[in-house]
Amino acid sequence: MAFKACSLNDLTPGEGLRIDSVSPPIAVFLTDEGTVHAIDDTCTHQDASLAAGWVEDCRVECPLHESTFSLISGEVDQPPAKRGVRVHEVELDGDDVLVELSEKAPQLPPGVTLS
Amino acid sequence: MTVTPDCRILIVGAGLAGYHTARGLRAHGHTGPITVIGEENRPAYDRPALSKAYLTGAVCEEDLRLDDPENPLDVAWVSGRGVVGLSERPLGVRTDDGAFHEADAVVVTTGASACTLPPASAEEGSYVRPYVLRSMEDALALRDANLHGADVVVVGGGFLALETAATCVGRGAESVTVAAGEDYPGEKRLGRPVAEAIRIAHEARGVRFAPGARAEALRTAYVGDTMRHEVVLAGGATLGAHVVICAIGAQPRTDWLRESGIRLTHDTSAILCDDAGAASVPGVYAAGDCAQWASHSSGLRPVGHWQEAVEEAAVVSAALTGAAPVSLQEPYFWSDQFDLRIQGAGRIHSADHHEVLEGTPEEGNLLVRYLRDGEETGILGINRLRDVKCWRKRRQISAPASQTSAASGRIATLSR
Repeated sequence: MAFKACSLNDLTPGEGLRIDSVSPPIAVFLTDEGTVHAIDDTCTHQDASLAAGWVEDCRVECPLHESTFSLISGEVDQPPAKRGVRVHEVELDGDDVLVELSEKAPQLPPGVTLS
Repeated sequence: MTVTPDCRILIVGAGLAGYHTARGLRAHGHTGPITVIGEENRPAYDRPALSKAYLTGAVCEEDLRLDDPENPLDVAWVSGRGVVGLSERPLGVRTDDGAFHEADAVVVTTGASACTLPPASAEEGSYVRPYVLRSMEDALALRDANLHGADVVVVGGGFLALETAATCVGRGAESVTVAAGEDYPGEKRLGRPVAEAIRIAHEARGVRFAPGARAEALRTAYVGDTMRHEVVLAGGATLGAHVVICAIGAQPRTDWLRESGIRLTHDTSAILCDDAGAASVPGVYAAGDCAQWASHSSGLRPVGHWQEAVEEAAVVSAALTGAAPVSLQEPYFWSDQFDLRIQGAGRIHSADHHEVLEGTPEEGNLLVRYLRDGEETGILGINRLRDVKCWRKRRQISAPASQTSAASGRIATLSR
């Protein structure tokens, strides 16, 4: 079941928006190219919000270290993170950003549990 | 010096710099044998959590492993062996079991060991070594200590000390006092606003700050069956404690190189290297906390940060394999204390001025910029992840080799 995560108007090009109404929280990104993506918000290495990361070439670099995650596949390129993040399906309905959450198990960093 | 892809590379030290050197070599296509000698009897691990989540029990040893068990590096690990000497011809290293490990190139990543306070005097009471936080063994000892109801004194005013103080509060200590050596911890390095923000956050959780006098020594006495420590401050004042934790810096682990031809710094015995990590003996490189590269010697970069070890390893592995040279980014550090996430980037250590851009110390949301001769050289954010990341990325894009262009020689050499 897709849910409305936010409105397109809530998003800033080149930035992410953390949505914490779901657990674990997700991050919705509007790229400079105009595409919208949703992934799990928490870096798999340590508790840091990927929504605050650096967005470039359809990847987001964790704001704490240098691991980058694909906004398309969720895979990670380099340490310190070892695991990728889940990718969620995004659909646009007018200005509404609808997200269908992945059914896979989230890869939370050590020490972080679902609230 | 570039080595052939099939030659033997020996990495001495299985910490962050050692692991990342090995990883970088493989990533650049090195096919020859890579041996990593580690003194500890455990797989290579990452240290930042030792003063935080590992100390509270939120994460375990397996969580901190650097290598990925699902995709391990093709490396021969020699664990539980100390090194005792370096030979130039043939090039190699002797370990404490008498074995000689010959190699075509040696990368020294032996790190540093924690400094502690000396005994107050030989006559007055006994001396029990205080807790330190450097290795997992150190952290394990402190994790096993019963802090509930204890009076804890943390000696040191750096991030390690402050993180540890925060953790001790969470562990149920009766009192936690930080002997930072200055009234506002970090004021000299980071400026008053940041130091105030840190002090406010800690005091709100009950952490106390001792008067700004430097801690000089430690004495221990038994009151009945109870062991009681006293930290002696300059001027003679003392702080009583059940548990004393020292976080007052670290000393490069280079004793084993004293008889070798490797040049060490006079003051700290760090391995002197150029900015590709090459030491004074051909074929020998050094990275991480045991090394002092040219940029450190000239005061252009701070020493001892996690990020420095990772980046130096990348530079060394690229230099050895002949891959495209990697330049060091702006220096970077971070710290988590209670609900403050502090991130600093750039050359904060050599700034002569700072300005608060946004936020207040009370709100825990400061954004501070640092300047030298009127030019912005650094940024520090408290709970400002996006701002700090953007600053770092913009610097990376606009000035890929900032440390070379800034080599004016006016910056005093850091006393490490």
